[in-house]
Amino acid sequence: MSALTDPKGAIAELTRPEGWVLGVSVAFLLFLLAALLTGALGPTYFLFLVGLAGMYALLSFGLNAQWGFTGLINFSVAAFFGIGAYGSALMTASGSPIAGGFNPLVGLAVALVVALALALLIGIPTLRLRADYLAIASLGLAEVMRLIVLNERWLTNGSAGVRGIPGFFKGWPVLSTFPEAMPGLRLEIVPGSPIFLEASFWQALLNVLLVLAFAGGTYLVLRRAHRSPWGRVLRTIRSDEDLARALGKNTYSFKMQSFVLGSLIMALAGVFYTHLNLYVGPGDLDPITTFYAWVAVILGGSGSNRGALFGGVVIVTIREGTRFLNDVALPIDPAPLRLLLIGVVIVAVMRYRPQGILPPQRELIWPSAVDGGGAPETPDSGVRERKGGGGDE
Amino acid sequence: MTVLGYLANGLVFSSIIVLGSIGLSLVYSIADFANFAHGDTMTIGAYAALVTFGAVGGLGGAVLGLPFGFFFALVVGIAAAAVVAVATEKLIYEPLDIDSIGLLITSIGIAFIYRALIQIRFGSDFTRFDIRAQRPIESLVPYGVRVTLHDVAIVGSAVVLVVGLHVLLQYTDLGRKMRAMADNPDLARVSGIRTKRVKLWTWVIGAGLAGAGGVFLGLFNQLAPRMGFNLLLVIFAAVILGGIGSVYGAMAGGFLIGMINQLTPFFSTVVEALPIWPGWLAAALESLISIEYANAIAFVIMVAVLLVRPNGIAGEAAT
Repeated sequence: MSALTDPKGAIAELTRPEGWVLGVSVAFLLFLLAALLTGALGPTYFLFLVGLAGMYALLSFGLNAQWGFTGLINFSVAAFFGIGAYGSALMTASGSPIAGGFNPLVGLAVALVVALALALLIGIPTLRLRADYLAIASLGLAEVMRLIVLNERWLTNGSAGVRGIPGFFKGWPVLSTFPEAMPGLRLEIVPGSPIFLEASFWQALLNVLLVLAFAGGTYLVLRRAHRSPWGRVLRTIRSDEDLARALGKNTYSFKMQSFVLGSLIMALAGVFYTHLNLYVGPGDLDPITTFYAWVAVILGGSGSNRGALFGGVVIVTIREGTRFLNDVALPIDPAPLRLLLIGVVIVAVMRYRPQGILPPQRELIWPSAVDGGGAPETPDSGVRERKGGGGDE
Repeated sequence: MTVLGYLANGLVFSSIIVLGSIGLSLVYSIADFANFAHGDTMTIGAYAALVTFGAVGGLGGAVLGLPFGFFFALVVGIAAAAVVAVATEKLIYEPLDIDSIGLLITSIGIAFIYRALIQIRFGSDFTRFDIRAQRPIESLVPYGVRVTLHDVAIVGSAVVLVVGLHVLLQYTDLGRKMRAMADNPDLARVSGIRTKRVKLWTWVIGAGLAGAGGVFLGLFNQLAPRMGFNLLLVIFAAVILGGIGSVYGAMAGGFLIGMINQLTPFFSTVVEALPIWPGWLAAALESLISIEYANAIAFVIMVAVLLVRPNGIAGEAAT
């Protein structure tokens, strides 16, 4: 990484992509706002998209905790996501082939426990080996999960999927009736195109608040964890596992912790998705979900939580943009187009910017070390950086 | 069907898996990364053959129920897969300045690009080669073996290709260089082997075999844009069972995994017949050992191999 050899250049270089990302995000927001105000984009659908972006960001946080922190290649993001989605759907839905009808919090707990068990099951044989074994085995795991969901009709309802899922706040004191209790509003900002805000809008708003809570909480936890001594060990393992072992760290145990943490976050994303979409089917376990998360993480910058957040938004743009393109301009089937875009983005990032758009640099340093002008606390800063760059920071 | 019948089917499917797993193992040991685009290279071979066969037609006579045009299409399929793989190596992999993990991730992107382009061009539906389906060979039916002349052609061609590869690896200059490079790339380079050229030849051979496997898979089942990606898990299982980096291990692994895959219905009848106690275990085994889970069984074998003997039947150290 150039940050180690040339901190001045790295900072100058750092601000440019950050500026770009900021500029593009602001422009995109303004575009969406304009579409909202003119009524071209329904406010309920807009909030659904925001929820979806939050969901993908959460998924990317999970993958980032594995790949970005520790360098674990997990190609079964879709499987853990599916465990979360199906776990909560089967526990809460009225149309569930088993149990069903429980409080969504029970579904959340069940989903997380099952995801934990599965993560241990796949981690035990592969985490002792070279990184590519986990990649191969996890790709297989995702396929097996998909087969099970498709074939075990008594458990998952097979290809028909699970319907009749309640919102996440069902059974809560105030929030369960909040959407119905709110008045229907009629706004007319641009004359001639009124915007209606009804129960479905308030429901979507609740979902967005929920995903903000999930993603915000996860973000804070991950940021704290990444800077902590625990996170430093993970970063050491990522760059040189033998070194970490030579320093007396039980790398297998650390890798397992990171893998489990990431898998739980992915399952959390699945739980949210269930209550956002109110339907889950085997199509949600398609490998493409895994690679949406991968694109988000490597595009944003491996190890960077901000980057994962940005990547989540990009993914929703790819997903919904191809659908929009198909409806409006080009009659190309959106499915292969998405696949093509994902492939091109992966190859382009690896070719031209393997560290991603927002690589984690200042994120990893305690703010006090930067503001106070003290020596950087990160162990991966070399002597040269401390001598050359200490005064600038 | 009898055991013999399942074994015969297993032999046919094994030939396809062996062709795929040898290529994957070669690339794994010489280019030094797990190539996730290998399955889609098979798809490219199959579709190139489909287009060629549609264009040239039967070309007169036929061998083993397959028109001459099909063999021409097979060669074109092999060539197309090899050309695409070499172009990818030249344009994408070679200029990259990343480690083998980065290459692995890039190869997933490449796999998606291949598949997306095929799907945009040909649609996502199943297709078949325009060849009349054969009846099973009459003289073998009394033994419960229902194989067609096409199946014999698949096994025969696979044997020719595998023997050819064995001769190439053991008795030619290129083969010796390839083995040297697989053993120790730095040492090979120091001793004057042009490693870049050997790597290109590795791609040609690996992808060519994959292309042949893809054509045969299309003949054995059908063609679909996902056919290669779906087979990838089984091929990886074969490579890990054989031991990563060992071509002969990949042959053995591919043979075993292909056999087990096609013997699944036989195993399920065995499980039904066995007195397994307690009852719920019997029920669970019966529902899990079925054709739907043939690929999942390969996965379970793979995980078991990783637990017990991570370097496989014939591989080097894995950690």
